[in-house]
Amino acid sequence: MATALSTATPARERSTSKERVVGVFRASPFTYATLIVVSAVLCVPLVFVVSIALSSDQTVNANTFTILPREFHWDNFTRVFGTDLPMQRFLLNSMIISAGAVIGQVLSSGLVGYAFARLRAPGKNALFIIVLATMMIPAQITMIPQFILFKELGWVNTYLPLIVPNFFSNAFNVFLVRQFVSRLPSEIDEAAMVDGLGFFGIYRRIMLPMLAPVLIAIGIFTLTATWGDFMGPLIYLNDESKMPLALGVQYITSTSAALQAPPWNLVMVGSILLTLPMILVYYLGQRYLYEMDISGGSAGVK
Amino acid sequence: MTMDSSRLSRRGFLGMGLAAGVITLTACGSDNDKASSDGNATAANLVMTVWGGESDKTAYQKRIDLLVKKFPELKVTLQLIPNDGYAQKVQTMIAGGKGPDIMQVAESVNVYSSKNQIQPLDELASKAGIDLEKRFGSIGKLYSYQDKVYAIPDRSGAMIVFYNKTLFAAKGIEAPSADWTWDDALAAFKELTVPGKQWGYAGSGWWAQWWSFVYQNGGKIIDDSGKPAVATDEVIEALQWAGDLIFKHGVVPTQKQYADMGADVGGDAAFANGKVAINTTGFWGISGLTKSKIDWDVAPLWKGKQQAVTAFGSGLAVSRTAKNPAAALKAIDFLTSPEAQQQIIATDQDVPANIEVQKSEAFLKPAWMTKPVNMNVFGESSGFVYRAPFIPQWNEMQKAFDDGLADFWLGKQDARTALTAIQKRLETIVKPA
Amino acid sequence: MSRLRRREALWFYLFASPWIIGFVVFLLGPMIASVYISLTDWDSFTPPKWVGLQNYTRLLTDDPVFWKALWNTFYYAAISVPLGLVIGLWLANLLNKQVRARKVFRTLIYLPTLVPLVATAMIFKMVLAPSGPLNDVLGIFHLPGPSWLLEAVWVKPALILLSVWGAGGATVLLLAAMKGIPRELYEAAEVDGASAIRQFWSITVPQLTPIIFFNLIMGLIGAFQVFSQVYILTKGGPNNASQMMVPMLFDEAFNFYHMGYASAISWLLFAVILVFTLLAFRTARRWVFYETEVK
Repeated sequence: MATALSTATPARERSTSKERVVGVFRASPFTYATLIVVSAVLCVPLVFVVSIALSSDQTVNANTFTILPREFHWDNFTRVFGTDLPMQRFLLNSMIISAGAVIGQVLSSGLVGYAFARLRAPGKNALFIIVLATMMIPAQITMIPQFILFKELGWVNTYLPLIVPNFFSNAFNVFLVRQFVSRLPSEIDEAAMVDGLGFFGIYRRIMLPMLAPVLIAIGIFTLTATWGDFMGPLIYLNDESKMPLALGVQYITSTSAALQAPPWNLVMVGSILLTLPMILVYYLGQRYLYEMDISGGSAGVK
Repeated sequence: MTMDSSRLSRRGFLGMGLAAGVITLTACGSDNDKASSDGNATAANLVMTVWGGESDKTAYQKRIDLLVKKFPELKVTLQLIPNDGYAQKVQTMIAGGKGPDIMQVAESVNVYSSKNQIQPLDELASKAGIDLEKRFGSIGKLYSYQDKVYAIPDRSGAMIVFYNKTLFAAKGIEAPSADWTWDDALAAFKELTVPGKQWGYAGSGWWAQWWSFVYQNGGKIIDDSGKPAVATDEVIEALQWAGDLIFKHGVVPTQKQYADMGADVGGDAAFANGKVAINTTGFWGISGLTKSKIDWDVAPLWKGKQQAVTAFGSGLAVSRTAKNPAAALKAIDFLTSPEAQQQIIATDQDVPANIEVQKSEAFLKPAWMTKPVNMNVFGESSGFVYRAPFIPQWNEMQKAFDDGLADFWLGKQDARTALTAIQKRLETIVKPA
Repeated sequence: MSRLRRREALWFYLFASPWIIGFVVFLLGPMIASVYISLTDWDSFTPPKWVGLQNYTRLLTDDPVFWKALWNTFYYAAISVPLGLVIGLWLANLLNKQVRARKVFRTLIYLPTLVPLVATAMIFKMVLAPSGPLNDVLGIFHLPGPSWLLEAVWVKPALILLSVWGAGGATVLLLAAMKGIPRELYEAAEVDGASAIRQFWSITVPQLTPIIFFNLIMGLIGAFQVFSQVYILTKGGPNNASQMMVPMLFDEAFNFYHMGYASAISWLLFAVILVFTLLAFRTARRWVFYETEVK
């Protein structure tokens, strides 16, 4: 239905059908103008990224880049794949780690967030403060104790430290789901309760479908964070064959001496390679994020 | 409510126990490793950590392949770590109880040696028959702490002068040489400057650059007793000279002018695009310039009251947790031998620390070089290298200079004021051992 | 407690158990360890030396950089968080309209958060150059452009500018929430003749308050813990003018090997964030509109 709306012509909008666009949702030329200007401003740096990615080594050494590409050294892209580094393997590892992390977060976050939003229990508020408090400790400071812990578990040089913690949700996602659930009318689950559905039944049959957008959002956030993270893999992985793409890109862009300028064109190629899949995921995923009919089942609300 | 809080606190207690246990485990765990070590004296599985990028991996791996071919009983696993994460990764490895067997170290070598995380190598080296002075010249004992050697030099090249031959020829100036004095240099810089468009010199805002002038002027950053000595007349005069090049003589671009040339443009890039006529930097400048459009060559650094120049490089150290230090040293011995060091040249990675290799034909006329370049400068300069103070608080000291000189490099403060303040700060950071 | 309530409580703990177990196993230990470390002098290599509260007293009474970093972090959070919220809300509202190619617009506006920071930082240095594009634009309005990253006064606004560039990241959640607002509310308002602006303030915003509140808390925590932007773009310079709490503790922990001192910084930062978060929760009762009361 929503897709139909997006292609609606102004003539159709004026029709009296129930799919009529409400006034506030109508896009004026001013809306378009603003969106175009904002997108253009946000895009300038990205065009710059592409321009640098396509420039020659000479341009890199002299650092004479231009916003619009003047040179087109597409071979920079093949160069990245032409190294000794097992890029395909890196890509596969990235996918394994990200998929594991996403599955873990999506499975656990909805459950925990729902509990914090809806179920009543003694000590819940205190526990919620602890949830929030865990976010207020900078991750950098628990890194070494955490490493020691994973080492004692024998998990160093495996994917486990990068994946397993995700199956226990995290504060951000718990809080996010809680806020989302708290917006939903409570009559729904009360009615279901009367119908004899247990708490798990309510969660699975009623909450889960309505939480789909926020769980997808969590999936996207987890995916982008895991995909781009190189500090975690750097600390926990030793074998090259286990490393993800984000770390592989670090190898391409690292230099031999500390003060040597990095090969900026390859840095940007790496950035593009890392970004592109995420752009695709977001572009294709937004359908499920924003355009799903999530209000179905909510009492009387279309 | 009460039930809940008691449960939480019991869990909390458990957690605390776990954390405390983990820390104690690490502390002794590492010692256990060592105790169970000195078994087999020849065969060994060694983990070696180095930093850098993909090309460094190739260079190191080639050398390791040669090593393993010659000594099949040594198995070396190379772990390449990107520059930015190297210190952190090694720190976590050691904190976790197991450092690498062989690790690459540089300026911050004494962070590890002062905390006993790497082993003194004098005895092992003499047992293995390595004469550091003979093999590496003046930098043989560069990585020392309290008169003990903690790392064997591996890569080492002096900072050198890059000059734009076209610009020099246009003004009829002779090539820079080790005999130039500060005044000769300044005169050339002035000749080569076209205000607002072209500058004679790229500047010396980086420690390796202005420290060279300090040591040329008879100053020292850390004196022989281990105390900071940056507020002395020699140091102040050298820094002021470097600052005057920017603000008094206008022969070096200001930070603003650099920022306008592009993101992160420093001397190397400004030289490569012809905006500055002279630049002082390391070996990596050469590989960057082999494909450049400008006509250039290299020369040794000029002198002040005496010759002095910073060297860049790195060494190889043996960690405290190495199971078989003798085998690790045997590996290092081979890796720094002429045979293995050739690979550093062949892969265009850096200057090999081994003097014999530095003087070899392969280095003076490398296969990848596209034009005649005076590669002899590294050999010529190696005698001028001063011993930079690699104190355990190296990073903190650098931060003190960065902070304290920020206003100086903007022309808002003179050298004496800046250095007096830095001296005070350094006195709280640097505690003589 | 009734039998039913007890059953509900049991289910709560069952549902929350993934987080509770994860917390106890992976986080509690390291957190307690870091409290202990903050009371010691530890270089992360040799055994820690107990020093009691010395790290804390030194930070609070004898470290000018700490106060500078704290002030800078306040400055950054105080401006970037509200600015990010307003811009995010404004963009989400635009994207919520029936715009053609809105998938493309949404992607473009979200994009800055996807690009790796190394690339972003490089580009920003060029944009913020003394004679760079931004100052050119300012020049059109006869405003003198500063040397953003080189001047102590302007380096913090430059970092805030970078955070604004990524404000589109907030639109994801706001848009998802906007889609959940019942259309009947707008239809009824339209019948009553309420203007678009009126509808925005009396329907959209109140319906979004739980998510706005979420973004506020996350923004606060994120801004107080700002790290990579500073570390990559300015390294805290010039002369600590842009030094913030987490970059400072990172330096102490991983460059200077003062693990105890760094842990103390992190717990002081924790206290600061906690105070602000609790303040935000206090005020929330007045403006956050929950469909059901969260207890």
